[in-house]
Amino acid sequence: MIEPLIKVNDLSFEYKLNNKTSIPVLKGVSFDIFPGEYVAIVGHNGSGKSTLSKHLNGILKPSSGDVLVSGSNTKELQMLREIRQKVGMVFQHPDNQIVATIVEDDVAFGLENIEIPAATMKDRIDYALEAVGMSEFRQRPPHHLSGGQKQRVAIAGIIAMKPDCLVLDEATSMLDTYGRRDILNVVRELNDDGMTIVSVTHHMSEVAEASRVIVIEQGQIVMDGSPREIFQQYERMQQLKLDIPVASRLARLIHEYDEEFQSDLIRNNEIIQEVVRLSAKRGVFVG
Amino acid sequence: MAGFEFELSRNITIGQYLPTGSLVHRLDPRVKLLSFTILVIAMAICDTYVGNIIALAFAICLFYISRIPISYGLSGVKPAIPFILILAVLQLMFYNKVASGGTVLVDHGFILITSDSIRLVIVSALRFIEIIFLSSVLTLSTSTTQITHGIESLLRPLKYVKFPVHEFALIITIAIRFVPTFAMEMEKMMKAQASRGAEFGTGAWWRIIQRTKDVFPIIIPLFNVAMARAEDLVLAMEARCYTPGNERSIYTKYKAQNKDYIAILFCILFASLLLLFPFPY
Repeated sequence: MIEPLIKVNDLSFEYKLNNKTSIPVLKGVSFDIFPGEYVAIVGHNGSGKSTLSKHLNGILKPSSGDVLVSGSNTKELQMLREIRQKVGMVFQHPDNQIVATIVEDDVAFGLENIEIPAATMKDRIDYALEAVGMSEFRQRPPHHLSGGQKQRVAIAGIIAMKPDCLVLDEATSMLDTYGRRDILNVVRELNDDGMTIVSVTHHMSEVAEASRVIVIEQGQIVMDGSPREIFQQYERMQQLKLDIPVASRLARLIHEYDEEFQSDLIRNNEIIQEVVRLSAKRGVFVG
Repeated sequence: MAGFEFELSRNITIGQYLPTGSLVHRLDPRVKLLSFTILVIAMAICDTYVGNIIALAFAICLFYISRIPISYGLSGVKPAIPFILILAVLQLMFYNKVASGGTVLVDHGFILITSDSIRLVIVSALRFIEIIFLSSVLTLSTSTTQITHGIESLLRPLKYVKFPVHEFALIITIAIRFVPTFAMEMEKMMKAQASRGAEFGTGAWWRIIQRTKDVFPIIIPLFNVAMARAEDLVLAMEARCYTPGNERSIYTKYKAQNKDYIAILFCILFASLLLLFPFPY
């Protein structure tokens, strides 16, 4: 049996306002993330999804319960550096996570922190910038980059540290369509190469990319399954004030009109394939 | 709004790096910083006409060696002119106790002007211009990144007296990194306020108080934004294993070459010339 990379065990978290009052954000959340998975965590604003993601590398500590990364508890201070090296995190705001005045130095920042010798640092920086397609920008100052490019630099800064898992905390929410598409491509490639991805998002087209979806509502997990299973539960999703992808909605509508058309499609190209399949079956050739 | 520039981020002069690939550009930033310090000290001490004219000529020569148009230096002097003038007036009025030697030129009530105080005024103005020229050459020929790396590696020996060298360098780096970000932020806020009827830069330039008051509605939101950004940045740095005070490895390392040794030797010689040679005037 494969060991889980991240094990979240009955995690509760509350923000303490003062001695008497505290606001519970997470209530008894448990789940495992296995190596190589692509997990999307969704929920509407204030559901606790971002707070949950910040527990995965020990930025926040559970009020009760445990988070284990490869068996090490995030509550143990001396393990923190190792945990953060294993689980890297990219945040929402592209501007607020770049430390240095040029791209190359920013990617080096994390490596300097974990005391990678200067001789091997260059290779790692080359590799990371190559992986996100930002090699020709290595001498540029960050304010000359677009939002999407800044986020790619932020991802490079993380993957240079060779983590096992990349957590994206709404990393695409400040980007335009093109920037988002670039990030998604990079993330998909990283996942194909075996990196575990946890993506906190409210863009349902990104969720369709994932292999597993965890839906959070009022600090609890309410759904956990493949995107296809989740998007099938149309009424439940509406109740939770969550969108479903356009492709999924379209498939449902066509299905109502034509029983034979599959209703559980979630990606745009699946719709096309289904149209081609049905047309061919009925003697009409499309495409 | 006529004539007022909202495009702040375009006018940032800090780190106005001008890559021309000259010899000065290719020098080790540590050498440039050291030479700069030595020369500035020498210029600040040297108090003769001849010495300062030689120093000014030297500063102008530096522009040619580094292939930077002298107009860049002059544009740096322009905003300093009011300060030079105010300084000159103050020195003429209040420095007569210090510089009371030489021949008396004017003695009228509390105003006492001597040839020494005239010398003081002219030499200070020259010094001002020399130092502006020097620092222009330094910042135009060295990128901000090189400057911060240079400072960090020059200060590194101080680590042994428990001076937080890396933290200090990181503070400078982050400050420089966020200058354009905040300029853009400020631009956005000014536009937002202006669209709701606030006025910026409409008063004449001599109404300093009015123009200062105009900025207040910007300052507080700017602080607010800065705090929010700082919080985010701390999280991002922590997520990348940053622990203050921890040992870190260093990515950028400099190695001084022959031309660097020659350059610093030359600067030391020139500085000692300014300091030690008995110039007649």
